[in-house]
Amino acid sequence: MTAEVRTGAPAHGGLRAWLLAETVTSPAQARAQKLYLGWRRFASNPLALIGLGIVVMLILLAIFAPLVATYDPFAQSLERRLLPPSGAHWLGTDELGRDIWSRIAYGARITLMIVLLVALIAAPLGLLIGTVAGYLGGWVDVALMRLVDVFLSFPGLILALAFVAALGSGLENAIIAIALTAWPPIARLARAETLTVRRADYIAAVRLAGASDLRIIVRHIMPICIPSVIIRITLNMAGIILTAAGLGFLGLGAQPPSPEWGAMLSTGRAYMLGSWWLAAMPGIAILVVSLGFNLLGDALRDVLDPRAS
Amino acid sequence: MRAGRAGLLAATAALALAWGTAEAQTRTPRDALVMAWNIDAILTMDPAQIGEVVTDEIVNNTCDPMIFQNVDDPAKLEPGLAERWDISEDGKTYTFHLRRGLKHPSGNPVTAQDAAWSIRRVLYLGFGNAAQYTQWGLSKEKAEEQVRAVDEHTLQVTVPEPWPPSLFLYVFTGRQGFILDRKTIEPHVGTRADGASDYGNGWLKTNTACIGPYRLTRWTASDTVILERNANYWRGEVPLRRVIIRHVAESAAQRLQLERGDIDIARDLNAEDLAAVDANPNLKLNAALRHQLYYIGANMDHPILGNDDVRMAMRYLVDYQGLERTVMRYSGRAWNSFAPQGAFGALPPERGLIYRLDLDKAREYLAKAGHANGFTVKLMHGTAFPAPDIAQHFQANAAKVGIRVEIEQMASGQLFSRMRDRNFELAFLGWSPGYPDADANASRHVFNPDNRAEARQGMFLSWRASFYREWFNDAVQRARLERDPEQRKLMYYEIQERFMREGPFMYNFQQVRQLAMRNEVREFKHHAFKVFYTTARK
Amino acid sequence: MAAGGTAVASRGGAGAAGRDRADRLRRLGREVFRQASAVGISLFGLLAITFFIGRMLPLDPVIAVIGDDAPQSTYDMVYRELGLDRPLWEQFAIYVGKVLRGDFGVALNTSNRVADDLLRVFPATVELATVSIVIGVGLGIPFGVIAAVHRGRMIDHIVRVVGLIGYSAPNFWLGLMGLVVFYATLGWVGGPGRVSVFYIDMIEPRTGFLLIDSLLENEPDVFWSAVEHIILPASILGYSSTAYIARMTRSFMLEQLSQEYVITARVKGLSRARVVWRHAFPNIMVQLVTVIALAYAFLLEGAVLTETVFAWPGFGRYLTLGLLAGDMNVVLACTLIVGLTFIVLNLISDILYHLLDPRTR
Repeated sequence: MTAEVRTGAPAHGGLRAWLLAETVTSPAQARAQKLYLGWRRFASNPLALIGLGIVVMLILLAIFAPLVATYDPFAQSLERRLLPPSGAHWLGTDELGRDIWSRIAYGARITLMIVLLVALIAAPLGLLIGTVAGYLGGWVDVALMRLVDVFLSFPGLILALAFVAALGSGLENAIIAIALTAWPPIARLARAETLTVRRADYIAAVRLAGASDLRIIVRHIMPICIPSVIIRITLNMAGIILTAAGLGFLGLGAQPPSPEWGAMLSTGRAYMLGSWWLAAMPGIAILVVSLGFNLLGDALRDVLDPRAS
Repeated sequence: MRAGRAGLLAATAALALAWGTAEAQTRTPRDALVMAWNIDAILTMDPAQIGEVVTDEIVNNTCDPMIFQNVDDPAKLEPGLAERWDISEDGKTYTFHLRRGLKHPSGNPVTAQDAAWSIRRVLYLGFGNAAQYTQWGLSKEKAEEQVRAVDEHTLQVTVPEPWPPSLFLYVFTGRQGFILDRKTIEPHVGTRADGASDYGNGWLKTNTACIGPYRLTRWTASDTVILERNANYWRGEVPLRRVIIRHVAESAAQRLQLERGDIDIARDLNAEDLAAVDANPNLKLNAALRHQLYYIGANMDHPILGNDDVRMAMRYLVDYQGLERTVMRYSGRAWNSFAPQGAFGALPPERGLIYRLDLDKAREYLAKAGHANGFTVKLMHGTAFPAPDIAQHFQANAAKVGIRVEIEQMASGQLFSRMRDRNFELAFLGWSPGYPDADANASRHVFNPDNRAEARQGMFLSWRASFYREWFNDAVQRARLERDPEQRKLMYYEIQERFMREGPFMYNFQQVRQLAMRNEVREFKHHAFKVFYTTARK
Repeated sequence: MAAGGTAVASRGGAGAAGRDRADRLRRLGREVFRQASAVGISLFGLLAITFFIGRMLPLDPVIAVIGDDAPQSTYDMVYRELGLDRPLWEQFAIYVGKVLRGDFGVALNTSNRVADDLLRVFPATVELATVSIVIGVGLGIPFGVIAAVHRGRMIDHIVRVVGLIGYSAPNFWLGLMGLVVFYATLGWVGGPGRVSVFYIDMIEPRTGFLLIDSLLENEPDVFWSAVEHIILPASILGYSSTAYIARMTRSFMLEQLSQEYVITARVKGLSRARVVWRHAFPNIMVQLVTVIALAYAFLLEGAVLTETVFAWPGFGRYLTLGLLAGDMNVVLACTLIVGLTFIVLNLISDILYHLLDPRTR
């Protein structure tokens, strides 16, 4: 550990010294040191940096889509359909003559929105159910875990389809549907984590001090579970993007002409042998982004999870 | 970008290799025809219930109807199981004289009683096919007297109106005109929910009992259909012993199999793969213009879409000619009228394709309708080609004149049930008429018997779109009773030209059936309505 | 179970073994009962939820039966025939009653009894899934162990990235590319379908597993044709399983390798291979069983797109087609099977866990 730190970049003045000081003078410094050391561990892993780079690129692509896109992503041209990649169309054109690079750039916004919203819905839901089940135990645990089992053993497609069908097709509803299928594994994980800490001395101490169950769960148990939940959801990003693509394939995800990557991929399927770039380009985009999220998730686990060190 | 180039090179190299080795000789049995086809749609083998193209084609090669359509010209009728027929003076009674000495595969003789029972069961069961009879005034209630066996070999059918025979006789060329083996089926007759007989519907779901060139020996859902030729077929044994249909859903997979010689015919190739077949010297395409029409239908109850000028504007938002050259190159011909090319009464080409992409015209009509600033409308369609392509093309052009089209894709089951509930604004759909005559579509697209919502006339497309105009109803009824062909044709011209301006349906393409086959397959015939396995050789 | 007992005995000392075993058996019995009743409740819940959500779907099974252009009277009759006019709870009660008597109804799509269809499509998927999981386990475990042993080095990175690609590449894309290369170009494997067209109706299904049936009927040609056809789709599916299993193996192994006993063993001078395979590996087997069971369960659910590309008449497509046609008999029966598969595999791995792992006692 320390060896790693010392072989790092050359010293950079007082801040670095402060971050590495043996004697800590304030809680802020302690926290900053912890973060910094975590970052050093993270940065020493090339795959982690690649993962981070990819995710940052995705975010930049989404933000600056109008600037980097070379064409209107919706502009069609029957004369210029199915053109292979060239100087004019970097990634070629699709079956209606739309520029694929521009569509991928704009599609980054949709992809990012899907993964973020799913994470924002599924993580808190799973966390809540898992911690409550784990902390309270007894019949609450049994009932909630049965529910989790039922949801887990559902054919994923049916569940998502059913929600989409009930809510109506469209991207927002697809997102909700995917989120509703993504929470059970998180709940299981959160429950397992809760079980390991609920007998801990400090929890007992808090309880003796008169804290309510709700307070204990929200203030003391959930924070313990959050790192592993974040890691888990990061690792699930690829699955989320591919599920969205699957719904798009059945006509239930993003509706045309939206440049959602999954929808582009499934349209491109029909042209795979003749015009390979239609499927390959969005396919590679999905591949790279999910690779990025996975590498990032792995690295976060290495940094945040003390057991893995 | 560089990575893109490298990938392109790699993929091209791989494909060049693929084509290089693809000329391997046919690897299918010599005396069998092997077809790859998506057969998911098959759900029953009962001719009274069948409602889609795959099963229709199969049963038409296993069962003979009373009257054949010529293998080259669907409008030419030839004696089938009925060797001749007379029509009474008043034009209402048809007497069919069945061929003598014919036997079903079970050995039972083919009788007029069988024929009467087969026709009546279509009426009694009341599936979609019953409409082929009910539209001519035959009914479940009067079936006993309207359809009678005079003796073993003579069948009489009486209709309430003197329809032009050229129109009415088509009904006996299709699956509703098969003569089934009643004696074989009767032991298997069950009952339906209301206690009535099911006329063997349950058993016929997975069995065939009729006289024909082939017989069904195996149907495994979404997997295989096998037909075996009948040794003692009355018209002589057909050249190929077996027809094997293998379920392959993916166009690319079908193409690879065809190139490699593992199948003789591929049925579901998309435009890309058809172009590749076209360019391959070992393979050939064989096309027939079907009578299926694609159209965008508007709900006339919609406050904006009900305006004739708005729909007129929309007709100018599709680049018919451009799409025909590109997206639809192998799969469709541009067409704007309800009577498909090739049908009796269809408009000549220059009068049946009158629209083109013209944004100024569209704007003009929108302004005239009072919607110069545009509006928002929902368009629903299924997921199969060409619906998504044409819908998005229309959407992009509509956006240019201020119409925001929101697309809803859905499974076909949902699409149809929303249509039947009149629960839509715009919808992209296809429709196949039952016979090659303008009347087939006039009677469903134009004529509307009762426009009230509670009338639930879902079988009429006009009712679904809530289109009801007296003039059209009268004109369709009059044309149907006109016995002078020349006069009847002129009446259809008038109806079509008006309907192209006022109707709720904006027709865009007429479908082409493309059979991609290996060069070894010869004399495989098909036309707008039928595909014949009987003439094929290898 | 015997193996578990011996393991315990060797750890716990000879005298206490008999009492210990009886005690454990009793607890195991209670556990099995508790789990079995939980399974029943879960399945019932599964069925109920599927049923009620299914009825909310805007898909109309009647249209699928009668065709697009049937008159309303026919529509109404079939609607009644399918029992759709009854109240929901009554429909559900009737359905459950029938299921308890072993009657899953008739599939609208195929006109067969659902049970017969399942006997056809499920073995096809089980066959594919089994070959896939064999590939997945055969490659995934060694790769995972190697990656863990060489943590942070090039070989680790390669294994992880190749694995992640297997994780995130769309199966249909891999499938079609596989067909182009190995079927169309190289001609090493058979094309879509389960067997060559020459053998298409030679084998009467006895077990439904073509690989077994062809051997039972002593038809080696058919057997080899079936092998030729299964190998590509199984490899594609096996790739994703390999990726998953390798990933989990790596992380379990890393945990073990950091334990004191490993370090002690190394210090004592045991070879690295011996420490890894004889000492560390047995300790992760229990966790691996769970992971493999889960991977297998996912494969048994059927991969719709892979089945579509390879024209494999399997469970995934059957379920999806039924769902899209609004055919609830098919959907419910399939959900039951998937649920049961998950629960049974879970249960087996739970029991193994209790039997094998000293820490959970």
